[in-house]
Amino acid sequence: MKLKKAAAILLSAVMAAATFGGCGNTGAGSADSTKVTSDSSDNGKIKEFTAFLAVPGNEINDDNEVQQKITELIGAKVKEVWLTGQTAEEAVGTMIAGGEYPDFIDGSDGMAQLYDAGALVALDDYIDDYPNIKSFYTEEQWESLRQEDGHIYWMQQFGNIYEKDMSTLPMEAFWIQTRVLEWDNYPEIKTLDQYFDLITRYNEANPTMEDGTANIPYTILCDDWRYFCLENPGMFLAGYPNDGSCIVDTETLTVVDYNTNSSTKEYFRKLNEEFKNGIVDPESFTQIYDEYIAKLSSGRVLGMVDQYWNFGYTVIDSIKTQGLDKQGCSYVPLPITLDENVQSQWYTAGGSINVASGLAITTSCKDVEGALQFLNDLLSPEVMTLRSWGIEGVDYLVDEDGVFSRTDEMRANAADTAYKASHLCTYSYFPNWVGMSHDGINAAGPGDQPGEFFDGLPVDTQKCLEAYGCYTYLELLGITEIPGPWYPMWSFSNSFTTSTTGGTAWVKVAEVKHEYLPKVVMAQDFDSAWDEYMGVYEDCSPQDFLAELQTELDRRIQLAAE
Amino acid sequence: MKQKELKVRPKKNKTSIPDKLFTVCNTIFMLVFVVITLYPVLNTLAISFNNGTDALRGGIYLWPRQWTLQNYKTVLQKNNLITGAYVTVGRTVIGTVFSLVTNALLAFIVSRKRFLFKAQLSLFWVITMYVNGGLIPVFMLYKNLNLTNTFWVYVIPGMISAFNMLVIRTYMYGIPDSLEESAQLDGAGYMTIFIKIISPLCKPVYATVALFSAVGHWNSWFDAMLYNRMSNQYTTLQYELMKLLSSVTNQGASAETMKNAVSAVTPTSVRAAATIITMLPIVCLYPFLQRYFVAGLTIGGVKE
Amino acid sequence: MAVTTKKAKTKEPKTKITWKEIKRQKVLLFWSAVFVVYGFIFYYLPLGGWVMAFQKYKPKDGFLHSAFVGLSNFTQLFSDKSFLRVVRNTLAMGAINLVLTFVTAIAFAILLNEIKSKAGKKTVQTISYLPHFLSWIIVTGILHDALSGSGIINEILMKLNILDQPLNFFAYPKYFWWIVGFANVWKETGWNAIIYLSAITAIDPCLYEASAIDGAGRWARIKHITLPGIKSTIMILLLMNIGNVLNAGFEVQYLLGNGLIQSVSQTIDIYVLKWGISQSDYSLGTAAGIFKSVVSIILIVIVNQIAKRTGDESLF
Repeated sequence: MKLKKAAAILLSAVMAAATFGGCGNTGAGSADSTKVTSDSSDNGKIKEFTAFLAVPGNEINDDNEVQQKITELIGAKVKEVWLTGQTAEEAVGTMIAGGEYPDFIDGSDGMAQLYDAGALVALDDYIDDYPNIKSFYTEEQWESLRQEDGHIYWMQQFGNIYEKDMSTLPMEAFWIQTRVLEWDNYPEIKTLDQYFDLITRYNEANPTMEDGTANIPYTILCDDWRYFCLENPGMFLAGYPNDGSCIVDTETLTVVDYNTNSSTKEYFRKLNEEFKNGIVDPESFTQIYDEYIAKLSSGRVLGMVDQYWNFGYTVIDSIKTQGLDKQGCSYVPLPITLDENVQSQWYTAGGSINVASGLAITTSCKDVEGALQFLNDLLSPEVMTLRSWGIEGVDYLVDEDGVFSRTDEMRANAADTAYKASHLCTYSYFPNWVGMSHDGINAAGPGDQPGEFFDGLPVDTQKCLEAYGCYTYLELLGITEIPGPWYPMWSFSNSFTTSTTGGTAWVKVAEVKHEYLPKVVMAQDFDSAWDEYMGVYEDCSPQDFLAELQTELDRRIQLAAE
Repeated sequence: MKQKELKVRPKKNKTSIPDKLFTVCNTIFMLVFVVITLYPVLNTLAISFNNGTDALRGGIYLWPRQWTLQNYKTVLQKNNLITGAYVTVGRTVIGTVFSLVTNALLAFIVSRKRFLFKAQLSLFWVITMYVNGGLIPVFMLYKNLNLTNTFWVYVIPGMISAFNMLVIRTYMYGIPDSLEESAQLDGAGYMTIFIKIISPLCKPVYATVALFSAVGHWNSWFDAMLYNRMSNQYTTLQYELMKLLSSVTNQGASAETMKNAVSAVTPTSVRAAATIITMLPIVCLYPFLQRYFVAGLTIGGVKE
Repeated sequence: MAVTTKKAKTKEPKTKITWKEIKRQKVLLFWSAVFVVYGFIFYYLPLGGWVMAFQKYKPKDGFLHSAFVGLSNFTQLFSDKSFLRVVRNTLAMGAINLVLTFVTAIAFAILLNEIKSKAGKKTVQTISYLPHFLSWIIVTGILHDALSGSGIINEILMKLNILDQPLNFFAYPKYFWWIVGFANVWKETGWNAIIYLSAITAIDPCLYEASAIDGAGRWARIKHITLPGIKSTIMILLLMNIGNVLNAGFEVQYLLGNGLIQSVSQTIDIYVLKWGISQSDYSLGTAAGIFKSVVSIILIVIVNQIAKRTGDESLF
């Protein structure tokens, strides 16, 4: 009978826990999320904020050294939580439904939802009190961040240039291995035809790497959302910059669909031709991202289209460590268009901000002024140097002229996951200047520091750049000015949802392109395959999203005129 | 007693050749199966011991190309891993106990021949397997029950699982009624029958359900993310490890969002190390449960 | 001496509901009431959220204030050819997975049971369920690699002269469903077999001894003792999994799919991600969820009736 009693008690305990267990914890549990001390009497108490950033990222450790230094300087810190295993919309939607938010939030694709839900604190009245925040943007830029209800809610963290644009890394480009250029004595490659011609000739002469594995002349990545490698070069090849979803004709100020225009068709025709010649990798359309990176890292791929951030950090490193850079396997970009007379606009100068999202303070924040003070302090020169460069002597060295540089070991550390978590704290999704550092001598971050950048390049890239008389990739690729106040249109098209006909058309078109573009490249008869694709494309009513883009274009132009 | 040693031999010889053939084929099949099943695990193990940059190239199969322990160091130095481990162990133990007790009792009730509402109660629970309110309604329910931002959100909501309950019920069906009846004749109530008579015979199925429940708790991270996202103290081991793996696949993201998140790419090798670390404890748990999967426990002592 | 391990499935007289009987069963009734309350709170209450499917739900408006749109979410779904296609895909993959995983798990359990060496049995079993713990990202990565142009499958096929040049398996729709089925078998067979192994241990060893005396060979033993012995487990699992056929997955198909084969690779969950969640359209996702639930329940009821008629185990 004792056992029976014990069991009954156990079961009752279980059931009781079910009913009461949750209730008792209201206070204890939720208090953990916002440990903000009262602002009136600081005296040495560290303020702790929480931030949710709806993008992937790496958490830093609680005992992160640079973070501790920053905290000592400004008396506040923030715990950043990143997006995992969900889409931004879903994560944000659940938060809104629950009504509880962390102190700071960047909703990324879900920003509009937060605004609609009234979860954000209006910043306009506070801005004047915080000098670093106020000077972060020009009047014009602040105006562009104003929402429909007249208030400003968030600060876009990226693309804000101080003094001079020091960028060294391109976005999207046609890339080619340095050994191919070297083999032909570093020729001028200006057109698509010249590009493929060079690759074909090189491949005929040198079909394998030094160790005998076959080269892959040209590969394409079209895995999931990374399929820009396949679908948008037509836009650049026609000589237009990256508006993402369309071309903007600067003379008529109208939106033009690059999916149907002749330059895109020519681009795909060329790909089709090269596919038949065996130049285009037949696995292009089924490979996944990991396989693509593996191919690039093995040094076998002679050329491809891609955005630097998609492969550059991992692949270039891998090539260097394997010593393949001595064989000339690193990549440089080429400013290609379809026609010699058309100027390419592969890289547009910075300075335009993506107003669709940014860092905001939520209504759950109990200490808005403290939060703003925190943002303000993060923008002070000393803290910015800590964020971008690290600790002097440990992460970078200063010479007698005040120029920063790094040793190889420091560079290796900066790339190491464990070191970054325990030692470096960039607060990357909090507002930060790029371009020049406030000390007037160095660049804001090591990636943009000219000498540093060049020294960190693989040997063959250095040789190649020198042969063309350049110091950085961008000098090779060319930097063009921002075409107009509407740029970039992708900041608008990224916020499309199916609640508008344009948004629905947009999703349908993407689906069609995923299926038909590979078919078009692999087709036996290009013209009939293209016509078939066009037929299905038209069925998706693309004019709907073009119309929406046009409306937005006009709106932006008008806003700038005021 | 010598009598037991008298074995009946004659008929055995007739079946020995097909029997041997079967054994040979079975053994070959098992070997092939083991190789195919073991390969992905060994592959992951090899990658976990391989240098991250080198692993990018692919081409690692059963043995690391550039041996390193760095990946494990990277994983183990992750913030909050210890807290996460404590919470996970806690929820696995508590959750499994809660789960087993409730599912077993419910299965017992539903399997009693004379229970008045067994069809209705079964139906009630079967339906729960196929209907789901959706992410947001469930979130709001837990919030209103004050379960969010606590430890209890891990062990209370998922306690009763129709699937586990039905598995136990099926097993209990196999226990002869005579046991229950003779116990009732001796004056035992239902609880006594459950605890003293039925449960000891259910060890194999209890072990199975305990295993399922334990593994479920051990591996879960989605609930930690949804209900305890910003909390340091209630994070789980898997959630912390999952954070390490972020950015590997991102559904429906846009290129412009991803380009700013670039420094977040975690090498494949770290991913592999995290996987191995998670797997290890469960693999060690299994041998403890295996002794319950022993034949003959059930029908011991039935005199018919 | 045939001690059966199953209840005789004759029609039992239904116990009459009388006060006496209620008093007699009061313990059972009490606890079942407790469980019903629990189940109601945690499983049935959230179903109130199904109202989202009839609204244009926005998180800021909540359930009470979002615009009511009647059946328009459902009509949107069913008039979309794309959706009907993904339902077909999900059903097909669900059915294939069901059959394959069932057959392999049962066969594996039985064969494993026939291994004489205890150590061998334990080792094989421990190894067999290890892939269950690998994430789909890892397994699909390995699978993709094995099936690629330079992968091991193509190598073997070419050596055996079945192919004269590498075949890109992921470029052709016709292979996809089978690849997914195989992936599931590879990853889950060992784990799925655990239940059957546990059920096999419940079979009275006396039966085996008796049959050995009667001269039954191995195959006869399996056919007449082992299989019938785990029949009820098989039936219950089959019934439960038939209800899950529309949950054929998200991750595998998402990770293994690509543009060329998307017409066969997309499942209901992928559709919901693309058209629902990514568009912040929760209503559509809920509508699809309701559709899945309704189909599952219909399937369950039908199959349950069949099971009852054939006198076997039933769910309820």
